Amino acid sequence: MTRSPHALRVHDVHKSYRSRRVLRGVSFSLEPGTLAGVVGENGSGKSTLLRILCGQIAADSGSVEHGGSLGYCPQETVLNDSLTVDQHLIWFRTAYGLEGTDRAGELLEELGFAEYRHTRVDALSGGTRQKLNLTLALMHDPDVLLLDEPYQGFDWETYLRFWDVAARLRERGRCVLVVSHLAWDTQRLDVVLRLRHGVATPGESDVMRAGATRGADR
Amino acid sequence: MNRTKRGLRTGASFALLEHARNHLALVLVVVYIPLWLTLEHVFVTPAPARFLLRATGRTVTVDGNHLTMVSGAVNTVTLIVGFMMFITTFKSLAFDRRLASAGYPRTFLLLSKVIAMTVASALIAGYATAVICWYWDPVRPGLLALGLFTATVAYGGIGILLGAFLRNELAALFVIIMASLLDTMLQNPMSNTGADKDGLQLLPGYGPTQVSVAAGFTSTDTPYGHLLLGPLWFLLMWGLGTAAFFARTRNHLRVPRSTQPTRRLT
Repeated sequence: MTRSPHALRVHDVHKSYRSRRVLRGVSFSLEPGTLAGVVGENGSGKSTLLRILCGQIAADSGSVEHGGSLGYCPQETVLNDSLTVDQHLIWFRTAYGLEGTDRAGELLEELGFAEYRHTRVDALSGGTRQKLNLTLALMHDPDVLLLDEPYQGFDWETYLRFWDVAARLRERGRCVLVVSHLAWDTQRLDVVLRLRHGVATPGESDVMRAGATRGADR
Repeated sequence: MNRTKRGLRTGASFALLEHARNHLALVLVVVYIPLWLTLEHVFVTPAPARFLLRATGRTVTVDGNHLTMVSGAVNTVTLIVGFMMFITTFKSLAFDRRLASAGYPRTFLLLSKVIAMTVASALIAGYATAVICWYWDPVRPGLLALGLFTATVAYGGIGILLGAFLRNELAALFVIIMASLLDTMLQNPMSNTGADKDGLQLLPGYGPTQVSVAAGFTSTDTPYGHLLLGPLWFLLMWGLGTAAFFARTRNHLRVPRSTQPTRRLT
């Protein structure tokens, strides 16, 4: 299959909720091996944009192209309270068509919640639920990863581990797009997209401007 | 094991597990069914009730207490399964959507719920029949269990439909309770002397109640047509719920997932 040079290409995406125009022509493209962020104020349309990018809702107009397989981590944890962590991994392994859950096991270790493998989700803390939420989006090693504020509820150490994971994904050629409202996150990004008045303004991050090497910002 | 078999087995087993871990439903099954039927056995008059049993085409005279227990069994099992299916559909919508967008076939998700519901319904119908048999001897207990089973699947379908459309647990609980109560009250000649009137055939409890009453008090006629009415209600409700499910879990990306490159991890 011919691979697009772009990991993600978004062209002139519009979205309105009744009379409220949330997105008014968002366009950008990202290459493989990019760690990008969408920043903006509350209600600026960040989550709406990500839901369009992952196909959960339809744009009113415009187009979205992915250069490979997709992983999406929603802002709210979307889990089944009746099942254990392991049972989630088994079900999503089946969904992704994977032979095993080795990558998921690695993520459990990296994010520091392997001890909860056999614990039911309704007994997990908010932070651990969020870790599983993220693991389900990452376990098939997607080419394009869309993360909607994936570290809510993380303690500081786990927050730092998350950025380690994201940096390693970038090194392996994955495209990671993170929605964030935290100003200090932008220091960790290759590309920052500022969403304002329904339009994304692409710009280089502090790291890129300083000419820092990738990975030095972990 | 091929992927289809493994996928369906995974979905069905987890759907069943979800029911098994629904503690409220388990308490209702274990406590509410025998409590309800015991109260009816103790307090309802055994005075004879005479009415036209359409399932057999004959007018029958039966023990009013036993008749009310049959009706009560229909009421309890429909309430429980209706609410169980509402809860599982209601709570799992976002999770199901996530599974579907990850590549898990939506038909598997739907079939898994039906398989789990069928197993749970069969167990609940069998249990309610056993409780009835504790107090008196229905003529055909196997057919009675089958009649109750058709009642559960009809209301299971209603629960799925409500789960697809209502966004409030209290509203769904209210709708299921009112529908089941009204339905069984109108079908029972003890509470409604006009229970053999035309028009009541249109209610979801009609077929299952006719089968259950025929099973309890007659030995000759097997109302095969009436046996199909409960499953027919299920198919109608499930079809509508399924249409809503497919609409809500649709992938709006123009490139179908199946054409995207996938990576196999070991």
